Amino acid sequence: MPSQASRAKRALRVAALIVPALLLLSGCSFDLKNVSGMGFPKGVSSVNDISLSLWQGAWIAAGVVGVFTFILIIWPAVFHRANASKGEFPKQTQYNVPVEILYTVIPFIIVAVLFYFTAVKENQIIDKTTPVKHEISVEGIQWSWQFGYPEAGEKAVVTGTPANPPTLYLPKGESVRFTITSNDVVHGFWIPAFMIQMQNLPGETNHLQFTANKLGEFPGRCNILCGRNHSQMIFKVKVVTPEQYQNYLDTLKASAA
Amino acid sequence: MTTFAERPTIAAPRQGVERTSRGSQFVKTITSTDHKRIGYLYLATSFAWFLIGGLLALFLRLELTRPGMQFLSVEQYNQIFTMHGTIMLLMFATPLFVGFANVIMPLQIGAADVAFPRLNMLSYWLFLFGSIQAVAGFLTPGGAASFGWTAYAPLANSTYSPGIGGDLWVMGLAISGLGTILGGVNFITTIFTMRAPGMTMFRMSIFSWNVLLTSILVLLAFPPLAAALLGLESDRLFGTHLFDPANGGAMLWQHLFWFFGHPEVYILALPFFGIATEILPVFSRKPIFGYKGLIAATIAISALSVAVWAHHMFASGKVLLPFFSFMTFLIGVPTGVKFFNWIGTMWRGHVTFETPMLWVMGFLVTFLFGGLTGIILASPPLDFAVSASYFVVAHFHYVLFGTVVFAMFAGFYFWWPKMTGRMLNERLGKIHFWTLFFGFHITFLIQHWLGIKGFPRRYADYLSTDGFTGMNMISTVGSFLLALSMIPFFINVWITRNSPKVEVDDPWGYGASLEWATSCPPPRHNFTSMPRIRSERPAFDLHHPHIKTEGH
Repeated sequence: MPSQASRAKRALRVAALIVPALLLLSGCSFDLKNVSGMGFPKGVSSVNDISLSLWQGAWIAAGVVGVFTFILIIWPAVFHRANASKGEFPKQTQYNVPVEILYTVIPFIIVAVLFYFTAVKENQIIDKTTPVKHEISVEGIQWSWQFGYPEAGEKAVVTGTPANPPTLYLPKGESVRFTITSNDVVHGFWIPAFMIQMQNLPGETNHLQFTANKLGEFPGRCNILCGRNHSQMIFKVKVVTPEQYQNYLDTLKASAA
Repeated sequence: MTTFAERPTIAAPRQGVERTSRGSQFVKTITSTDHKRIGYLYLATSFAWFLIGGLLALFLRLELTRPGMQFLSVEQYNQIFTMHGTIMLLMFATPLFVGFANVIMPLQIGAADVAFPRLNMLSYWLFLFGSIQAVAGFLTPGGAASFGWTAYAPLANSTYSPGIGGDLWVMGLAISGLGTILGGVNFITTIFTMRAPGMTMFRMSIFSWNVLLTSILVLLAFPPLAAALLGLESDRLFGTHLFDPANGGAMLWQHLFWFFGHPEVYILALPFFGIATEILPVFSRKPIFGYKGLIAATIAISALSVAVWAHHMFASGKVLLPFFSFMTFLIGVPTGVKFFNWIGTMWRGHVTFETPMLWVMGFLVTFLFGGLTGIILASPPLDFAVSASYFVVAHFHYVLFGTVVFAMFAGFYFWWPKMTGRMLNERLGKIHFWTLFFGFHITFLIQHWLGIKGFPRRYADYLSTDGFTGMNMISTVGSFLLALSMIPFFINVWITRNSPKVEVDDPWGYGASLEWATSCPPPRHNFTSMPRIRSERPAFDLHHPHIKTEGH
């Protein structure tokens, strides 16, 4: 029968497995820049810059915890099978207070660490105090988008249709403040590669600010069910150089006048 | 020395007097006040809804196999996913809990029936007719409700979703919700007032504990839903402005709906955690590891579950992110505790893999992954990346299918002899398990990547240039394997219908809770004699009196 001491040793061994997981989670033991984006491209937006390391760190932590727990589930299924030589009944263990405390406290520490990084990063993402260079309005309508560029005048509004989805132009490397509204039902303004979304709420105004950092085209989609043609409520994000963006604003101004 | 007296047999069963024709059996069933019969009605009806909801899911998967609309219109697609969600959550999983609780809980606490047997039957009729009404929209000219099972305002009002289908949905759910509320009242009263002598709260089986806590959550969650639904119907029918966006109605609906919606997830999860917790000790030949810690964890989960609703609304921009994020993370702690209780129960046990145990293992590994993606989604920055995408669809199918369906089949195989007096076939049970297991994981694992790559939920279609085609095809193939897995189950039920009767109280040999101390199936009022109840496993104590429990 295992003694008290060997139980304590086993508890230590468990801790030895979990502490490295915490270190991984905190990101202090290695550089996440070398890790894959785990499904996301790198460096495409300011939100992506903030969130990607959390995404990677959370997956690494989840992977460690998941594999550890999975092994613990499979272990008795393989090695603690009934067998005639062991007799009919195992020892009828009902509890083990130190182990129970350990497996309550360790998950708490893990989520506390995750929460710390979550809180820091979410404050950066929803921050609306830093000054921005551009303003764009994003209005959801059944079933397309209206992008307004107030710098080019009040009438500089691009309206899409389900058959002809609109393009949202963004200047590379320059911060934009988005005013997000809806004129009918709830919509969801989502740019998957940028790792950001925000609901367009009727009767309410939402704000969001971020910077696109990579030239190119990225798909955007409405992700809150908004009625029949929800799946046609898509748009294209086109990130251009600041000069091209200025040209685009000028053409908008000219065509609106 | 005996410390209890055998109850005298009152009368021999009236063999030959009882009428057994199909018609009289039918009348007996629909007029019964026996908790077991009502429970069977619940189980059978909710399983029928499971098949209907599953069929609808196959339509969805077929439609998504390739870009372009294959055989449905966009409007039909929206109706089908709305009804798929509604059926699976409110007509399958919720009443399935009521079914298992009805059949098993009174047996486990040593009661003769539930506290309000007639109310019990009324609850069933409310559930049945409410559900039929909600789905009957398919028969109306405008079709069924198509605004999603979440029915966000103002999409669900009469301007954006006219048609009687929406009204049938709203009022049908209000009626069936009343049945659920009354069921909750019944279970709470039963557990508090009808436990057998010796059955203290801390000797009660974990399943019964979970029924209690689930019922409390029902009383907290379903009245707000009823209020929201009646308000919505008042908007639709009488033109009131409860959920008018001009008055902040869009957010009001989200708050009310998710104040129901999140506890609802735990209403669906807790009873099925309970089923797993009943099965693990029996096939490990050990008591539950950390019984009191497990109860504390369940209480903690129940309490936290009413404080996390706004994590469904992170992207609304209108909720306090750190609070709801932290509360959601915290749920991971008691859930982790449960996992380690389950592992500890198997640890150094004498584990055998009869079919119920196999299903519990399937539950453990599936729910583990669903729980981990839940931790990811609890973090608002990560939620902003993948919320309302197929990542979330995959997450909640891992959580809910992993819990409800795996544990449901575990419970069916485990309690089949208790309910019918006959065992199900082991070999077919294992074929059933493995087909379903692979079908499920092929269908839903790939959907995480679909979501990360940007496929939003509730899209009827996508472009061939989106890069979603291959992943959707894999998912569709998996869904058909998943559907095929029902065949061995039906064959199993059919071929074992006349198999030899179970002659003993406990065919598994190591049953712990009280239902294994009465016959299979139990008599009308459950027990002809009551064993001594001196621990949380009275049936085990009765059958193996020489085995002593120990601490570590």
